[in-house]
Amino acid sequence: MTAGTGERATRAVTRVASGPAGRALSRKPARLVGRTVAIVVILLWSLFPLYWALNTSLSTLSGADSTPAHYFPSPLAGASYRAVFGIGSSAYGISAELGRSLLNSVIESGAAMIVTVVIAILAAYAFARMQFRFKRTIFVSVLATLLLPAYATLIPLYRIMANLGLVNTYLAVILVYVSGFLPLAIWILYNYFNTIPRELEEAAFVDGASPMKALLRVVIPVARPGIAAAAIISFLLGWAQFLFPLILTTNLSTQPATVIVAALNQQRIVPFTLLMGCGVIVAAVPGVLALALNRYLIQGITAGSVK
Amino acid sequence: MSAARRGRLLPYLLLSPLVVFIGALSFVPTADTTVEAFFRVMPLDPPDKFIGLGNFRALFADSAINTSWINTAAYVVIGVVASVVLGTAIAVALKQRFRLRGVVLALVILPWALPAVVEAVIWNWIYNPTFGVMNSALHSAHLIGGYHVWLGLSRWLTIGLIEIVQVWQITPLSALIILAALQAIPTDLYEAARVDGAGPLQAFRRISLPLIRPALAVCAVEALVLSLNIFDQVYILNGIAPLGSSVMLQTYVTTFENLNFGGGYALSLLVTLATAVASMGMLALLYRRTEAAG
Repeated sequence: MTAGTGERATRAVTRVASGPAGRALSRKPARLVGRTVAIVVILLWSLFPLYWALNTSLSTLSGADSTPAHYFPSPLAGASYRAVFGIGSSAYGISAELGRSLLNSVIESGAAMIVTVVIAILAAYAFARMQFRFKRTIFVSVLATLLLPAYATLIPLYRIMANLGLVNTYLAVILVYVSGFLPLAIWILYNYFNTIPRELEEAAFVDGASPMKALLRVVIPVARPGIAAAAIISFLLGWAQFLFPLILTTNLSTQPATVIVAALNQQRIVPFTLLMGCGVIVAAVPGVLALALNRYLIQGITAGSVK
Repeated sequence: MSAARRGRLLPYLLLSPLVVFIGALSFVPTADTTVEAFFRVMPLDPPDKFIGLGNFRALFADSAINTSWINTAAYVVIGVVASVVLGTAIAVALKQRFRLRGVVLALVILPWALPAVVEAVIWNWIYNPTFGVMNSALHSAHLIGGYHVWLGLSRWLTIGLIEIVQVWQITPLSALIILAALQAIPTDLYEAARVDGAGPLQAFRRISLPLIRPALAVCAVEALVLSLNIFDQVYILNGIAPLGSSVMLQTYVTTFENLNFGGGYALSLLVTLATAVASMGMLALLYRRTEAAG
């Protein structure tokens, strides 16, 4: 499938997703029931595990550890969130640990997102608009790393960072994230830049603007949805990382929330109500972002995948 | 410097940060892995020394690693088949417009957007032998007589349950890609089929399926790469026990628990090659079928 078809398909999905409430379903009631059941099953499959984490996190310990299981928190309890936020007796010292690791996650995924998007805008602009030697070679070799499993580089990256004395620094984590996220961000932005008519920039050139000025004043403002897509996907990827930070960070000064949640899970002394409270909070950040920015997310996913 | 000269240099200037990043942190490390795989590298017992295929021979003699290869094959087969089939089903169900369709789509993406580690911790609680909701629900429905220990006893059950967690995460991606492909099909094709008396199933088989094959190929390859490299879910739900272990987990154990870096390099190289060969093979297979169908 060509990039053009992918773009069209992307627009089709986003248009319908954000479009006005649809028309009536099918005229046949049997089909209407069938489709409603299908949608309910899809939503149950997608959301039940998340609901279950929320349910447990809002239960008392005896409510969560009951058989048969309670499908609603009874009694409704905020104890795990009080402990997670350090209100009252902060059980197991989780509040300080989780708070610091969330800050680390924000710094690492946020910085990686910003650096990735800036570098990707510059590179995608050159690929989309300029002619130069080795263009195809560089473009293809950068995109080829998309097919390379990230872990092909795991051990050498660890040793490079160890040799540079960068293990357990934000810098090591951010550098590794950026190198991993760049190809996808470039692919998304390259496709988006190609949908922008060249006439817009040519008008700026006639007015005497340099290519850099045209990029800053004309292309970037128009490409905001594409840039948002690349940014949110980079942030989500950063937030979800586990194996790389597991080896690149060694203590709470740099460990992101994923590493802390895995460690709490492994200790097996933290009650499940509290563990689910931590899980809900760590999942809430990307969850809220994905819901709020889902238009850009869908666009980025389909543009980044339908090649 | 003249303006023209500056203009010629500009593209290289724009690309230089990218080239530095990808060169230093993707290409050099990949080359490094390829070379060091043939060396004995023990950080606690230097010096490094060339040993030819020694690392590979040691890997193939290790029963835990051989087990992990077969396990990984099972993860891949379940992951690719289940995520593509489920993704197609979800895409077909969500293709027609209906009220709140945008909200449903946004909610369906959620599992894809969240960290795999957190999801695995949640599913670990769902699978819990004493208080897990899976036991409770199956017992209430009279599908099981008593509560079961789900993970860590039976190899294939453990692998299947762990892969469900990954399928749950990656299926939204397949669903969205297939949905985009379905919506790019001109509706008059379906009109024509209906006029010719084709039912919905026939229309799906004769029109949709051939036209979404390239999208299915993309989804299959994405699922293949992700499941071949499964780590987070296995680390949380299986630990480092050989029973449900994957090759990525063994790479981690070999390198960072046993501190045998040479063995880790060799295993990384094998996983990388396996990923490349399998994804190329799958693309060739699916694209050839597309041509045959078209």
